[in-house]
Amino acid sequence: MKKQRFDYGYILTLLISLVVALLIGAGILALTGHNPLVAYRALLGGAFSNARHIGDMLEYAMVLCLCGLACDIGSRVGIFNVGGEGQLLLGAIFAAQIGVWLKALSPWLAIPAAALGAMIVGGFYAWIPGVLKVKLKVNEVITTIMLNTVAVFLCQFLAKGPWKNTNKNIVAGTGNLPGSFWLKKLVPGSNLSTAIIAAAVITFLVWYILQKTSKGYEMRLTGDNPRFAKYAGMKTERIVLITMVISGMMCGLVGMFRVYGAEHIYKSTVSNEYYFEGLMVAMIAQYAPLPTIVISLIFAILKIGAMGMETAAGVPKQLYLIIQTIVIFCMAAETGIRAAIARNRERRAAKQDVKARKEGGNEHA
Amino acid sequence: MHNNIWSTIFDPGTFSQMLRSATPVALAALGGLMTEHAGIMNIGMDGMILMGAFVAAVGSYFCASAAMGILAAMLFGILIGLFFALFTVKLKSDEFIIGCALNTFALGVTAFLSREIFGLSGTSGYAVPSLPNVTIPLIDRIPFVGKVLSGHSIFVYVTWLLVFLMWLFVYRTPMGLWIRASGESPETLRTVGKNPERMKWIASILCGVFCGLAGAHLSLGYLNGSFVEGMSASRGYIAFACVIFAAANPPRAYIAALMFGFFDALGLRLQSYVSSDLTGTIPYLITIIMMVYVVVSRQKRRERLAKQQLQRLEP
Repeated sequence: MKKQRFDYGYILTLLISLVVALLIGAGILALTGHNPLVAYRALLGGAFSNARHIGDMLEYAMVLCLCGLACDIGSRVGIFNVGGEGQLLLGAIFAAQIGVWLKALSPWLAIPAAALGAMIVGGFYAWIPGVLKVKLKVNEVITTIMLNTVAVFLCQFLAKGPWKNTNKNIVAGTGNLPGSFWLKKLVPGSNLSTAIIAAAVITFLVWYILQKTSKGYEMRLTGDNPRFAKYAGMKTERIVLITMVISGMMCGLVGMFRVYGAEHIYKSTVSNEYYFEGLMVAMIAQYAPLPTIVISLIFAILKIGAMGMETAAGVPKQLYLIIQTIVIFCMAAETGIRAAIARNRERRAAKQDVKARKEGGNEHA
Repeated sequence: MHNNIWSTIFDPGTFSQMLRSATPVALAALGGLMTEHAGIMNIGMDGMILMGAFVAAVGSYFCASAAMGILAAMLFGILIGLFFALFTVKLKSDEFIIGCALNTFALGVTAFLSREIFGLSGTSGYAVPSLPNVTIPLIDRIPFVGKVLSGHSIFVYVTWLLVFLMWLFVYRTPMGLWIRASGESPETLRTVGKNPERMKWIASILCGVFCGLAGAHLSLGYLNGSFVEGMSASRGYIAFACVIFAAANPPRAYIAALMFGFFDALGLRLQSYVSSDLTGTIPYLITIIMMVYVVVSRQKRRERLAKQQLQRLEP
């Protein structure tokens, strides 16, 4: 039960990995002829220099956090939802189009309808690989990745074809949402809207269900030891499938938040592989909800900061992806090295044991 | 109208494009089946291809020679293979996490460096030497076949040779046997005095080299000397699906890649009839169907075997 208590070892590893990643990033900057100090100062400025940037940063942290949690709950039952990107995009485009269809209605009807639509579409799109995994044992990683690309193409088709904006200047985008449907901005001029309140509620619910309820315990058991869970009378297949669908619904809802809170139209800027960045966050958080929240904040600072850094210091913003993945490699290396040391110690102890008993051929792998 | 569609589909151009599209996938699949035999789930191939493509373009540009670009991509492939094995074999990290991270890392590092070296618009303004297309004498005179088989980048023909060599290597050499054993039954391999971990390292390095080649083909052969951000376009994942479809058998993996190539070509050919966004989904949907087919047929076979065994026991 290390997740309940404060895990100092994990926090130390995370901090060291972050520092190492930033140092390697500085090395890359120096090698490519930038001044690392100037670049990193521009990065911090990009995230914190004014209220608008802070708002954008919090909105992005919300996206990362929800995507990360969607991945968390999947991994909790032993299924990896790598298809969140497709679920997010389809949720976004359907939410946008529902808004266009229900233009005449009151926002109190239209906004919940759009949220519901996005969740149904996202959930359905996660149900496909879920059912293939549960019923036929088809590897969900590949199917979800394929479905991502399919969703990208489908959204492009819809945004260019049947659902195209009447404005000729918008090549690929759905119709504009009426102003009354826009979620209220919390920081004027930024992307931060009231969606973050809904996101906070969802985050709390996910944390509560995973950590505090018997459903969460059943989910963990299903993921850790599916056979035992099955013999204990749990409907593991159903648990996995429902979890996958919920994960997809969360991703669809993120798409709806992006459209109603920030973009007010569906276009390709709704998500640029944001789910994969959420996935990275979840991996670094080792699929635990609380670290997911903290790490999504850290990476939102890095990402929004990197965009400011690109304009202020002329450093390509992709540096952010490099730093993020180096953190993952560092953490994997640290756990790997620690496990290797433990294995060595065990082996040595076993050898001494063998010597003591003066028996041969009892080697453990 | 219908006649028109059929003549578009069964045009030699479709089959020529099929070979072109299949080649990078097949090359990566040849690498992927090594790690698959060694028991490593390698979903990091997409990143390996992307970095291979970038290194090939950079090498080709700075050395002003496509051959040097290919060499650079292969050498870099060794490095990537070592890096991948360091985590998955030595440090026993989660293969899924390392694969995902490798893909994202590749996306970030290639985009970053490509902008640093070539600027925002990519390689378009630079002269990156590419590979010439090869015309096969005699065969190019045969009416239909000539158009299909001749005039491709040299990689298309090298891949045929490599498929055969890999089949020999995997099924007809001791090293191939050891690598297969390192995945299927590492303890047995240990009892004959071979280190399964070393075999996994070798498999991982081979995978890196093949993915580097696939990337080199993408940037120097397929796209005639240009690097585009994210140009691997999920080919690594498709290659992984091909490997599973083929049960890691090289010629079968090539056939799977051809199947992918055919539907990719079909999508391109049908653009005048259907929106290219819809036809673009075909190869990816086909990959899913392929995966489902493989899994279901494997289960059926296992069931049949179990039933036969039961019948043998019962009377």
